[in-house]
Amino acid sequence: MTTTTPRRHTAALRSRIAARAPQSLRTSSKLRRRIAGALALSLALLSAGVLYTAFAPRPQIAIAQDDSQLVAQGQQVFNNHCISCHGANLQGVTDRGPSLIGVGSAATYFQVATGRMPLARQEAQAIRKAPLHDLDPKTGDGARNIDALSAFVQANGGGPTPPLEKGEALRGSDPARGGQLFRLNCASCHNFTGRGGALSSGKFAPHLDESTEEQIYTAMLSGPQNMPHFSDRQVSPEEKKDIIAYVTSVTDGNNNPGGHPLGGFGPVSEGLIAFLVGIGAMVGIAVWLGAKA
Amino acid sequence: MSGETSASESRSRRPTEAEMEDMTPDQLATLAAELDDVVVVQNLPKFPVAGTRAEKRAERAVAGWFLLSGLFAAVFVVAYIAWPYEYKAPSEPGYQMYALYTPVIGATFGLSVLLLGIGVIAYVKKFFPDEVSVQQRHDGRSDEVDRRTVLAQLAKAGQDTTIARRGLIKRSLGLASGVFGLGVGALALGGLIRNPWEGGKHAALWVTGWAPDHGEKVGTGYEKVYLRRDTGALGEEIIEKGIDGIRVRPEDLDAASMETVFPFRMSDLKDPKKLDHVLKESDTPVMLIRLRPGEQVTLRSGQEDFHYGDYYAFSKVCTHLGCPTSLYEAQTNRILCPCHQSQFLATEYAKPIFGPATRSLPELPITVDDEGYFVARGDFNEAVGPGFWERKS
Repeated sequence: MTTTTPRRHTAALRSRIAARAPQSLRTSSKLRRRIAGALALSLALLSAGVLYTAFAPRPQIAIAQDDSQLVAQGQQVFNNHCISCHGANLQGVTDRGPSLIGVGSAATYFQVATGRMPLARQEAQAIRKAPLHDLDPKTGDGARNIDALSAFVQANGGGPTPPLEKGEALRGSDPARGGQLFRLNCASCHNFTGRGGALSSGKFAPHLDESTEEQIYTAMLSGPQNMPHFSDRQVSPEEKKDIIAYVTSVTDGNNNPGGHPLGGFGPVSEGLIAFLVGIGAMVGIAVWLGAKA
Repeated sequence: MSGETSASESRSRRPTEAEMEDMTPDQLATLAAELDDVVVVQNLPKFPVAGTRAEKRAERAVAGWFLLSGLFAAVFVVAYIAWPYEYKAPSEPGYQMYALYTPVIGATFGLSVLLLGIGVIAYVKKFFPDEVSVQQRHDGRSDEVDRRTVLAQLAKAGQDTTIARRGLIKRSLGLASGVFGLGVGALALGGLIRNPWEGGKHAALWVTGWAPDHGEKVGTGYEKVYLRRDTGALGEEIIEKGIDGIRVRPEDLDAASMETVFPFRMSDLKDPKKLDHVLKESDTPVMLIRLRPGEQVTLRSGQEDFHYGDYYAFSKVCTHLGCPTSLYEAQTNRILCPCHQSQFLATEYAKPIFGPATRSLPELPITVDDEGYFVARGDFNEAVGPGFWERKS
């Protein structure tokens, strides 16, 4: 209450001066000067405000949705399963595992969901195996743990992220174009029906029978192990989906009009079976006819 | 000996015209066998008494096979016309029916042929008579009279044509048939013969589709040769929809990537066939590889400026036997050829480090133009692919 009294005093004083002014100093030049001064002041204030809003740094926090809890959970998963080879700060451990800074959540999803990580042992390359129970993408807990781990890795250096669609939504509408792109970009290693093939020094391109749509997509994005990367600017998301449509339509015994794929690798097995079974049957029938005559 | 006597006997027993008039068809058939020295020892019909139930049953069985064969043939024709044969993806409805198209066609056609064969065999086995015949075997060479007379006959026939004395006819005939033979040979082989040296220094042996003078002249030089991506679109589609995304830019590839690229010139857009053809030329495919930043790279002398940043462009044609060496291992930076396991090191000017290949993959000089697209600065500085006679390196 005590602080308000002086203010009232000054306000009363100002109004008294203002009331007196028109009577004693009524000259147009003075008024004009005052108005000009007031305008200049307000203009300066306004431009300072505009300049401030234009140049002031944006706050670094509160731009992403709050996933700190997910990241914290992911760190827990990381500490349980990955830390011994990839290091406490994802910097990697010499002769054990590479740095994960910048690999992104697409790579994390692919490696963990296919069971390649955690690695069973050091060898030519990581192989697909049954995922650990708490990292199994088919169970609710496992899927959440993979999400959390992916968010944790993504929070440390960013990188390619998995697509937002899931499952069949990732299959494109043009498997024929997908087939053409697959034969150009993928078939040299994975074979034209996704049977896989050998690489140098014990490494190999795996077959694609068990690969889900998300796994194929994240593999193209992140280029696991010796596979090259296929960025969205090199192979567009639509083209990736067409490739997935082709792969799912030819692998795992699909698109098999002859009744049996015979390994799915073309004329070698087909010719051998036709020769052995066909010629064998004809010889057998000829012998049988001769024996009965 | 016995053969000869029986042959002469049978010859002596040849019937006269009048005798043949009186013979029945059965007797004539027996005579035919006798003339060939065949004696029918036994000929028992399967069903001596016609019209028994067993005979009718056998007849029905054979007819059954034939009818079944006809039935499957009819099913084959119907399935061939009416069965849904158009491609369906496994997730689409109607996939099961589509997937059965080939098995149904194959099974009905195969069964029809098989049952026809079974019917014929069943007919032979059930109705043909049990016959045992003996034919005399003629040992040794032919009769001396036959041999001499035949030879004399042939010699005389030749002499009568007077060919031995007609030198002009013989030579002109030889000439005609020789020239005709040459014509036939040229017709058969001509299509297979190509001259790989045609064009001297610009022969197909030495240059590829990347050579600047394959394009149109612009001012003093030639038009730009862009690095083209194959998006699976046909030439007509590209001309219709534009060339967005066809030309490769340095920001398109992530680190540790590989893309197969082909030459592209703006003048290609005049002809959709040319746009398609470029993708099928055997010596033009190039692997555009983007290494990881900071890789230890050894450059080949004379090719120090062929790369652009982390981007290196190597011919995709193996220097061993010309297979596509497109198995790029992004971690080891090796390029593996699937045919004979030659390996090339991308960080060392694609030098062979394993397998039968002895020469490095040729490197295409690339740069980026002022619009930000990759362009080739020229053709390879050596011939692409496996070695050949004239090649010095």
